[in-house]
Amino acid sequence: MNNVKIMKALASVSALALCSGLSACGSKSAQDDKTLTFLDGYSQYNEDTPWAKAIRECAPDGYTVERLLQDETLSPLTTSVREDNAPDISMIDVTVLPTVVDAGMVVDLEAAGVDTTGFYDSIIDSGKVDGVQYGISYGINTLGLYYKPDILEKAGVDPASITDWDSLNAAIGKVVDAGYKGITFSGIATEEGVFQYLPWFWGAGGDLSKPDSQAAQDARDLLAGWVSKGWAPKSSTTNNQSAAWDVFLSGDYGFSEMGSWQAKSASENGYKILSIPSKNGGEGAPVPAGGEFLVLPYHKTANDAKQKAAAEFVNCMTDTNLLAVAEAAGYLASKEDVRQQQFEDEPYMKEWEDPAEHAQGRTTKLGIKYESVSSGFAQKLQSALNGK
Amino acid sequence: MNIKCNSSPTVITRQISTSFFYRYRSRLAAFGFAAPLIVYLLLFYVSPLVQNVSMSLHRYTRRTFVTGDAPFTGLDVYREVVSSSEFWVTLGQTLVFVFASIAVQYALGLALAVFFNQNFRLSGFLRGIFLVPWLLPPMVSGTTWQWMMDADNGILNRFLGLFGVGPVWWLQADNSLWAVIIANIWLGIPFNLVILYSGLQNINGDLYEAASIDGCNGWQRFWRITFPLLRPVTLITLMLGFVYTLKTVDIIWLMTQGTGTSQTLATWAYALAFAKGSHMTIQYSEASVIGTILILVALVFAFVYLWAQKREEEA
Repeated sequence: MNNVKIMKALASVSALALCSGLSACGSKSAQDDKTLTFLDGYSQYNEDTPWAKAIRECAPDGYTVERLLQDETLSPLTTSVREDNAPDISMIDVTVLPTVVDAGMVVDLEAAGVDTTGFYDSIIDSGKVDGVQYGISYGINTLGLYYKPDILEKAGVDPASITDWDSLNAAIGKVVDAGYKGITFSGIATEEGVFQYLPWFWGAGGDLSKPDSQAAQDARDLLAGWVSKGWAPKSSTTNNQSAAWDVFLSGDYGFSEMGSWQAKSASENGYKILSIPSKNGGEGAPVPAGGEFLVLPYHKTANDAKQKAAAEFVNCMTDTNLLAVAEAAGYLASKEDVRQQQFEDEPYMKEWEDPAEHAQGRTTKLGIKYESVSSGFAQKLQSALNGK
Repeated sequence: MNIKCNSSPTVITRQISTSFFYRYRSRLAAFGFAAPLIVYLLLFYVSPLVQNVSMSLHRYTRRTFVTGDAPFTGLDVYREVVSSSEFWVTLGQTLVFVFASIAVQYALGLALAVFFNQNFRLSGFLRGIFLVPWLLPPMVSGTTWQWMMDADNGILNRFLGLFGVGPVWWLQADNSLWAVIIANIWLGIPFNLVILYSGLQNINGDLYEAASIDGCNGWQRFWRITFPLLRPVTLITLMLGFVYTLKTVDIIWLMTQGTGTSQTLATWAYALAFAKGSHMTIQYSEASVIGTILILVALVFAFVYLWAQKREEEA
């Protein structure tokens, strides 16, 4: 899946570059005053999906919203802001907000008329850079430990006994001894692999401002140990999260570290969820908050009326139509009352209530410095998983 | 009279104008015919090249890329890239990737071309099958190779298991260079086969007949006739193969994301330019430096080719 994304991203970037070079792709003429363009990273959702429907419903009076589909939104957004051809609203991954703000690519949401009250603190904090609210979201996702109850039962493992790394290792060992396979996770050398590495890093007492700590080493040793013992597939080194999930679904694996976005598919298959344990037990490990944020891109030639309409669209996506939007995206809604409503609609999401409330932002403390921390983690984790 | 009076001034003016155009007519026409090509070249070849070199001479970050005021740094970024150990390691891997790929692609392509040149039954059909790697989108072949080389469930390891060979972790950091070379060889054989086969078609069959009358065996016929007469085609095959292989990103990226030893200059530049893989910070300038170096390497080999071709013509 990731590969498709890469190729599509490449193609779109080159197309964008070509268009901006020739400045004759006609996007200006299509962008009449009553059309809001939305750079949408969910290209998997076609116009018949609940997601597309929720967007249509959020078009302000007199406007239509045109989705510009991209698998990866950062590169197209960068190029289009540079060429003063930016969309009116964009979606970006939460971790790239600092670099987007640093490059002056987005505007202050509150000044533009976006209402930022009533959200969970973690959402507000993740969307803030230097005290200014640049991004806001309809929901988050986070990580947990899925397991197949039938396999655990046959292997004689009581899921309740898994409270720290030792008991987790013992459980995986028992599953493997019973003739099944152990655990899948994504160890790909990208931010995606780092996202999956962080619960173990934090669970060992790690702090992002000290990336070279013993905790970082302990977390690497844990994951690399699974691969070297054959408990996790060797393809963990190149699997992205959807590939790791596919391996879990298709094989006899007992466990999978995976995100809340798979909750629906997991509940349909009868899988259950555990919190990721900390190294020494106690409370579950802190997990990273993932997901996409909505931003209003900067335009060199300002159009106040359109920006106001864009802010209205964001307000609808994150307030009036929040329930539908969060459910369509498969994320945990970003406001408490709506999240409770969501649990009634989708009982399987209830298991994520606790992890989601303790989910941490990756860039909240470090800002743009997170980029180099993440790159370092990705490289060292890749070496460790490769047995080097 | 009336007619003459009226016509004479026009004749004069026409003479003046035609003499001006007459003198430059052929040159203007030539320029007119060349103009679309020149505009095309400027727009699609020269301007990206200039842009690339310009980026490598400025310090671009995401911010300066957007604002457009990246500071000029001269050759600083070049110095930084060239003085890093990663550059030399990657350059070494790139050369191994390129030369190992080309050598085996060429040898196998030539062997197959000679084989198919005998025009036996079904040879056309079989030759067609050998083109499949060329026709498949790299997306498909790269992913398929990744599956086949899966260390736990891949078909390659199962096949080796039949002969009692233990499973190989193909895509592991130390092995990944050879894994991507194998896939790339498979990908490049059809290209070599097609060009060399068409080269073989141009060799006069009488030569072989004469040689067999003189008592040459197959081996001698190949080394004394086929190989020398194929030299011009060989040159262009190797040259094009070199350029294709040097800039390969897709198959490597699909299989390993350029991790471990499989990082080449091309995949490194891609990762830096688009903040992919383990490079979360976008590094336009460094990527442009590597891009420029790649272009220079390709240029050097293009000159080697031209020189060899000239020597060939003179001989």
